[in-house]
Amino acid sequence: MSDRSGVIHDIGYRGYDGPREGTRSLVLSLYVTGLRHAFGLGRSGRSKVLPFLLLGLGTLPAVIVVGVVTFINFGSLPVSYAAYLSQIQMLVTLFAAAQAPVLVSRDLRHRSIVLYLARPLSPALFAVTRWASLASAILLFTVLPTLVLYVGGLLAGLDFGDETPIFLRSLALQVVLAAVLAGITGLISAWALRRGFAVVASIVVLIVVAGVVRIIQEICSYEDISTVGELAGLFSPWTLHNGLAVAWDAGGRAVVELHDAWPVVYLATALVVWAACVALLVRRFVKVGSR
Amino acid sequence: MAGVTGNEGRVIETGGLTMRFGSVEALTALDIGVGEGVTGLVGANGAGKSTLIKILLGLLEPTSGTASVLGHDIATESAEIRRLVGYMPEHDCLPPDVSASDFVVHMGRMSGLPATVARERAADILRHVGLDEERYRQMGGYSTGMKQRAKLAQALVHDPRLVFLDEPTNGLDPAARVDMLHLVQRIGRDFGIAVLVTSHLLGELEKVSDHVIVLDGGRLLRSSATADFTQHTGGLLVEVLGGDTERDVLGEALAKAGLTCRPRGALVAVDPPPPGLSREGAVHDLVRDTTADLGLALVRIQPDQAHLEDVFLTEEAARV
Repeated sequence: MSDRSGVIHDIGYRGYDGPREGTRSLVLSLYVTGLRHAFGLGRSGRSKVLPFLLLGLGTLPAVIVVGVVTFINFGSLPVSYAAYLSQIQMLVTLFAAAQAPVLVSRDLRHRSIVLYLARPLSPALFAVTRWASLASAILLFTVLPTLVLYVGGLLAGLDFGDETPIFLRSLALQVVLAAVLAGITGLISAWALRRGFAVVASIVVLIVVAGVVRIIQEICSYEDISTVGELAGLFSPWTLHNGLAVAWDAGGRAVVELHDAWPVVYLATALVVWAACVALLVRRFVKVGSR
Repeated sequence: MAGVTGNEGRVIETGGLTMRFGSVEALTALDIGVGEGVTGLVGANGAGKSTLIKILLGLLEPTSGTASVLGHDIATESAEIRRLVGYMPEHDCLPPDVSASDFVVHMGRMSGLPATVARERAADILRHVGLDEERYRQMGGYSTGMKQRAKLAQALVHDPRLVFLDEPTNGLDPAARVDMLHLVQRIGRDFGIAVLVTSHLLGELEKVSDHVIVLDGGRLLRSSATADFTQHTGGLLVEVLGGDTERDVLGEALAKAGLTCRPRGALVAVDPPPPGLSREGAVHDLVRDTTADLGLALVRIQPDQAHLEDVFLTEEAARV
């Protein structure tokens, strides 16, 4: 096919003098587009399969738990909120690892980042918005099953006053978890521009490291040397989440219980990792954009 | 015509703009002014054209010097500048898994257009650049020509006041090149959007731009109206019927009569005449008489115009 496939029609050019939106609307528009793209909405039909399959797999056990609670009249949930998330951590991680490249690598790999940076949004705001879309997508992914557990549990007759504080604390921890997971997977996707590499690297960092940490913690718990176990827990977002969930009674289970000031150290570590990832992500976008 | 004087009508102004990458100086104390209409930015690869555009967009921070775009300082108001300008980069920058239609709408939104306006303008502008039926197809399957059109569309969707086109004819076949240049000319003249268009092909810009800036190794070689570059040199071009033999016969006869001439293609190029023949029409009469004496058939006598290339070569030679 030749390059000369289009004919330039002379229909007269019309300018635009109407209102233009401010930074807030631009950010919101970019954020919503990103969030939709993370679930494959507004993209090809094929790209919807993985996110919704994972979401279904992540929510189905919650529905079953609620069914069991309804029939057997438990006084509390057999698997509470944070513990449930810990059970589906593989699915959450896969979702984050698979969808981060959609939001981050695409702009960098195809250089469309240059077109964004030639527009009013600053590179920092652009990178942070991308991260926010990803973090929100991960949060939605974790909130859905816990919400099913919460609402289903209440409908099955669990005590509102007992469940609500646990659920809310778990929600707060999910925000922290989503922020850190989005930071790590986003950063990895910003460096490994090929989707396959990014997915594999994210899985290694999140699942393999979490597995190693868990083994160390099991050994420490068996040998009764808690400090090493507490220290090891700092190296994976999942053990950070699980540790804090037990310490703050968000319905979690952890191998190692946190003593003394460890919960604060855990939270501080999560925040530092999050901030570092977002800062590096911003730097990466600025650098690629100026090339 | 963009032979602008003073600050009025200047869309871009730089003062002592210098950009250094390590030990390499990409731009050296550049002072240029760009007016409305189409301005060509010419230079070999690596002359600093893209660097200049990136600095003006605020994507790169200059080592020293100042610049303003549409009256806004690049150091302090680059977000405001990016609201008012469009940019078509030289390299590929289109995600392959989206249609041109969706992408241009999204880019319009990213420039601050409300949703409905973005959709209307995207449809309009895609028609203007000549992407009609293809716009609903994913851009990964586009030819180079279609990609260039989509890139141009995203640069124009928000009705910018100034648009930077970095090598828009790159990779296009001759026919598509002519289309693209015609489009560039229309953007400047009919759309009323100031254009800064770069190319490493001088001849290309001669046809479409009102003003030409020549960069060489990061320095300003020359900046003036295109008409000044291509003005009448004072010489003549003469064509006679026949082939090279007839051409050479005429050339030799004219040389005997005191003119300096050389063959150029099928024509005889006559240099500006010596003082003895400087009377208006003297050379024309001499050419006519000489041809008649030789029994040759005169086809035409036309004024010889300089080309951008000639100017570039002359200034280059003068600098060495």
